[in-house]
Amino acid sequence: MSHTTPMVEDGPTGADRLKPFVPYLLVLPGLLFVMGVLGYAVVGGIILSLNETDMFMNKTFVGLKNYIDVFADPRFQAAMLRTLSFVVISIVLGIFMSMSFALVLYKVVRGRRFFRGLSLVPYFVSGIATAVMFRFIFTTSGGFVNTVLAQLGLPAQSWLGDPTLAFVVAIMANCWFMVPFASLILLGGIQTIDKDLYDAAAIDGANPIQIFFRITLPLIKPMLGVSLIWVSYISFSTFDIVLALTSGGPLKATELVSIYMYELAFRQLNFGQGAVLMVVLLVFNTVLSLIYIKIFVMGDRRHSEAGK
Amino acid sequence: MRVQESGPMALLFQRLGPKVLIWFTLTFLVIWTATPIIWAILSSFKDPLEIYESKSLLPEVWRLDAYRKVLSMPGFSTWLMNSVIVTVVATIVPLILAILAAYGFARYAFKFRHVLLLLYLIPRIIPRVSLIVPLNDLMSDLGLINTYSVLFITYIASAVPLATWILVGFFGSIPKEIEESATLDGANMWNRLRHVMLPMAWPGVVTAAVLCLREAWNEFSFVLALVNQTDMRTLPYQLYMLKDSMGIQDYAVYNAFTILTVLPLLLVYLLLERKVVDSIVSGAVKS
Repeated sequence: MSHTTPMVEDGPTGADRLKPFVPYLLVLPGLLFVMGVLGYAVVGGIILSLNETDMFMNKTFVGLKNYIDVFADPRFQAAMLRTLSFVVISIVLGIFMSMSFALVLYKVVRGRRFFRGLSLVPYFVSGIATAVMFRFIFTTSGGFVNTVLAQLGLPAQSWLGDPTLAFVVAIMANCWFMVPFASLILLGGIQTIDKDLYDAAAIDGANPIQIFFRITLPLIKPMLGVSLIWVSYISFSTFDIVLALTSGGPLKATELVSIYMYELAFRQLNFGQGAVLMVVLLVFNTVLSLIYIKIFVMGDRRHSEAGK
Repeated sequence: MRVQESGPMALLFQRLGPKVLIWFTLTFLVIWTATPIIWAILSSFKDPLEIYESKSLLPEVWRLDAYRKVLSMPGFSTWLMNSVIVTVVATIVPLILAILAAYGFARYAFKFRHVLLLLYLIPRIIPRVSLIVPLNDLMSDLGLINTYSVLFITYIASAVPLATWILVGFFGSIPKEIEESATLDGANMWNRLRHVMLPMAWPGVVTAAVLCLREAWNEFSFVLALVNQTDMRTLPYQLYMLKDSMGIQDYAVYNAFTILTVLPLLLVYLLLERKVVDSIVSGAVKS
């Protein structure tokens, strides 16, 4: 690739001298726009995290002081631990559900299109609407769950008033929103597997569990990687769902790093420390994505090349 | 690891076990997916007091009062228009930029091709909510808070990489020979793009458009951080604000508002469901 050689020759339009620049003219406008805005924001955020701001947004350079303050802040430490457990539980539950849905959407014959179409619906519901809907499922008076409990003659529960239950509900709402996309990705992987492999395994007397772990799972490894990236990206950056569901409460039981970041910057107007949390979110998400890419995409490529 | 047993129960379990498991999971999927939406619809037709008593699942009388109240909110048409304007712009502009870029990536070999393609991917792993702090600071400095421009800029920037990645896959899968024969017929790049590539990659263009639409219509964190005037709110922002702005909680109104914000996008999805689902399942859309 030493020269800029178009794979397709342009017609004799007389613009021959421009030709080497054509791909750049096509590719760069979008990229420059994206990098201009998002790159500017990331760099601006890092600079902001090194400054102290007052109420009028006057900045003074303070070096790493914000980082030291934030990392020593017990409220941040609690939010960080909470976020990690939120992410881990969401990933485990989310991948389990996505895999179950994908397998069942693969197996179902009658109404296949309907079930697939239906399964993706939550992906198109906004985070705020998801949160509002889950509030009315679990709200104490008039919630779906308590109405059902009342019909069964059971006492009502304060689902969103109890710290542990509220945390669980937040995870459920998060899963409701993120599982559909992940399960369709996994379904795509399962569909590409040659059916003969299953038949051969069945003839050899393998049971469904063995078939899943020995055949299905290894063959959809790249798709599993993609859905893992999606699930952990969504869980790490969950913000609107939790903000509208619980606002971080009760008793800060659902205050994740993203919620605390919003609180610090927009309620307490401490933009310097808010920017530190932005950097934390950014670093964690990037590291996690790189690990997944290394394990699932790169590892798989090397494996298949070695197998040739 | 089930051992082969010959008892009738074991045999029955072996025959029916997988089927029962499939039906159980499928039933769970349907209930899990539909309940929040159906409950919101049912509650939106109830009387506010009836909701509080949580006696029955179905409304005693199907009332349209909540919808009437939402539609007569003084700002409703403004918020709806804001959402529509921002969504249309943040779908069309990214699509144009992405079509050009994807064509460049799919059809030309050039220096830094891989690096530039990778640069298009990076924005997708940045948690967007993390950018609200610096964006608020930077856009305040530029005097862009409470403008359409600031929403256009941020929405477009986050949609371009998504659309580009979808379209690179679709364009790349179109055989080069088809385009080459068009070249021999004297078609230049624009004509080839318009008359060969776009029609052939149409499912991809539709999918990219729907997903851009989805991002813009549902976007919340940017509008939360960059807008604070009531008349600049979009529907998701107003839905969030309902929580604080209603003195006594009128749950029916709340649910009706939710349904009205969700419905337009769901209709678009239902119309184009086949193309979108197929594109995702075929692996053409990766986060």
